[in-house]
Amino acid sequence: EVIRKRLLIDGDGAGDDRRINLLVKSFIKWCNSGSQEEGYSQYQRMLSTLSQCEFSMGKTLLVYDMNLREMENYEKIYKEIECSIAGAHEKIAECKKQILQAKRIRKNRQEYDALAKVIQHHPDRHETLKELEALGKELEHLSHIKESVEDKLELRRKQFHVLLSTIHELQQTLENDEKLSEVEDAQEASMETDPKP
Amino acid sequence: MERAVPLAVPLGQTEVFQALQRLHMTIFSQSVSPCGKFLAAGNNYGQIAIFSLASGLWVELGNSVLHFSLAHDGPVYSMVSTDRHLLSAGDGEVKAWLWAEMLKKGCKELWHRQPPYRTSLEVPEINALLLVPKENSLILAGGDCQLHTMDLETGTFTRVLRGHTDYIHCLALRERSPEVLSGGEDGAVRLWDLRTAKEVQTIEVYKHEECSRPHNGRWIGCLATDSDWMVCGGGPALTLWHLRSSTPTTVFPIRAPQKHVTFYQDLILSAGQGRCVNQWQLSGELKAQVPGSSPGLLSLSLNQQPAAPECKVLTAAGNSCRVDVFTNLGYRAFSLSF
Repeated sequence: EVIRKRLLIDGDGAGDDRRINLLVKSFIKWCNSGSQEEGYSQYQRMLSTLSQCEFSMGKTLLVYDMNLREMENYEKIYKEIECSIAGAHEKIAECKKQILQAKRIRKNRQEYDALAKVIQHHPDRHETLKELEALGKELEHLSHIKESVEDKLELRRKQFHVLLSTIHELQQTLENDEKLSEVEDAQEASMETDPKP
Repeated sequence: MERAVPLAVPLGQTEVFQALQRLHMTIFSQSVSPCGKFLAAGNNYGQIAIFSLASGLWVELGNSVLHFSLAHDGPVYSMVSTDRHLLSAGDGEVKAWLWAEMLKKGCKELWHRQPPYRTSLEVPEINALLLVPKENSLILAGGDCQLHTMDLETGTFTRVLRGHTDYIHCLALRERSPEVLSGGEDGAVRLWDLRTAKEVQTIEVYKHEECSRPHNGRWIGCLATDSDWMVCGGGPALTLWHLRSSTPTTVFPIRAPQKHVTFYQDLILSAGQGRCVNQWQLSGELKAQVPGSSPGLLSLSLNQQPAAPECKVLTAAGNSCRVDVFTNLGYRAFSLSF
C-alpha cells in the first residue's frame, strides 16, 4: 500500500532517479534548442542539475563509508562483549568453587565449635591434675597419721597388757599369801588347843 | 490445593474415587534416576509414579507425570536407585525395576526377593533400604528388627545383623569405615561393622538428658551421617552427635519430630511433622524454614546426579499427593502431583 502510494507520488522514481531522467530530457531539449540565450540558460540549468546529482552521489558514498565503519565498530564491540561474557562465566564458575570451599570451611569451623563447646563443659585438665595431686598428698598425710596412731595404740595396749598381767600375778601372790597365813593360823589354833588336855 | 471440581458437573464414581484417593495419599519414598532427569515416588497405595524433572523445570506445570504403575500390594516404604535399577520395598518384598523400562508404560518388575524371616507367618514391612556401593550390596531393615544384607549380583542374602529390640526405621552409611548405622523404635542407634558383621557401638539417645523428650517417646525416625558426625531425630530432639566420642554436641531447637534429615554442603536439612523444610547450620541456628505444600513431610531427596546439573533440585514429599520441588533452597518452585 505504502509502496503503491510512493510510486504514484514519485512517478518516475525517487528524487535522484527523477533528476537523472530530467537531465537526459533537458540535454535532448538543449541539443534541439534554437536561440543562444535559451541554450545558455538551459546549459546552466543542466550544469546545476549535474552538480546536484554529483553532490547527492558524494553524500551517498560518504554514508556508505560511514555505514561500513559503523559495522566494523559494532563487530568489534560485539566481540568484546562476547569475551567479557565468557570471562564473567569463568569468574562465576570460580566464585562457585570458592563458595563451596568457603562452605566447607564454615562447616569445619562449626564442627570444631560444637566439639569445643562440649569440651568446655568438662573441667580444665590442669585444675583436675592439681586437685588430684592435692588429694593424693592429703591421703598420704592421713595415712601417716593413721599409722602413727595405730603404733601408739599398740604400744599402749602392750603396756596395759603388761600392767594387767603383773596386777594379776600380784593378786595371785597376795591370795596365796592370805591362804598360807590362814592355814598357819588354823594350825596354830589347833596346836594351842591340843597340848591343853 | 485440591483440584476444584465445579459443582455443575455431575461426578462419576471413578472421579469421586480418584479424588478420595488423592486426598488420602501419603508419599513415603522418593528416588532419583541415575540420569538425574526423572524422579520416582512411591505412595501408600503401592503405586510408583515417575515424574520428569526436566520437563517440569522448563515447562511449568506441564504434564510431567509420565505414568504410574501399581507396583506393590502394600505401601511402598522405601526406594533406592542404582546405576540402572530402581529398587523399591514395601510389605516384606524388594522389587527391582529397570529405569530404562520404567519410562515406558506397562513395565514389569525385573525380580523380587524376600529376605529370610524367622517365621514364615510374619511379613514385616521393609522401612529402609541402603546401597553399599563398595560391596555392591543392599541392606534392608524393617519390622523384624534385623538388618539383612543382600548381594546385588547374586541376589542371595548374605548376612543378618541382630541386635535391635524393636523395629528399625532408618539406615545410614558411614563411608570411611564401612559401617552402617541403624536407628529404630527402641531408641538406640546401633553401628554395625560390615566386615565383621558385629555391632560396634550403641548410642541410646533417649538416655542423654539434653536431647531426650520423654513425652514424644524414644523412637529414632531419621538418621544421617557424615563419617564423623551424625544427626538423628524423632522422638528425642534433633541432635548432632560426634561419633568418636559419642557425645551430643548440638541440639536443634524444634519441637516437631523430624522424619527425614540429610547433610548438604554446610547445612543440615530436616523435614518432619511441620509443613516446612528446615535448614540448620551445624551450630544449631535455624538458617531458613521453607514451607512446602504438604501438612507433614516424610522424605527429602536431593538430586545431585552429575549427569544432569540443570536438574539439581530438592524434592520433598509427605502426607499429601504432591511432591514439592525446590530449585533454590530458598523457596518452593512448584509441585508435582500424582
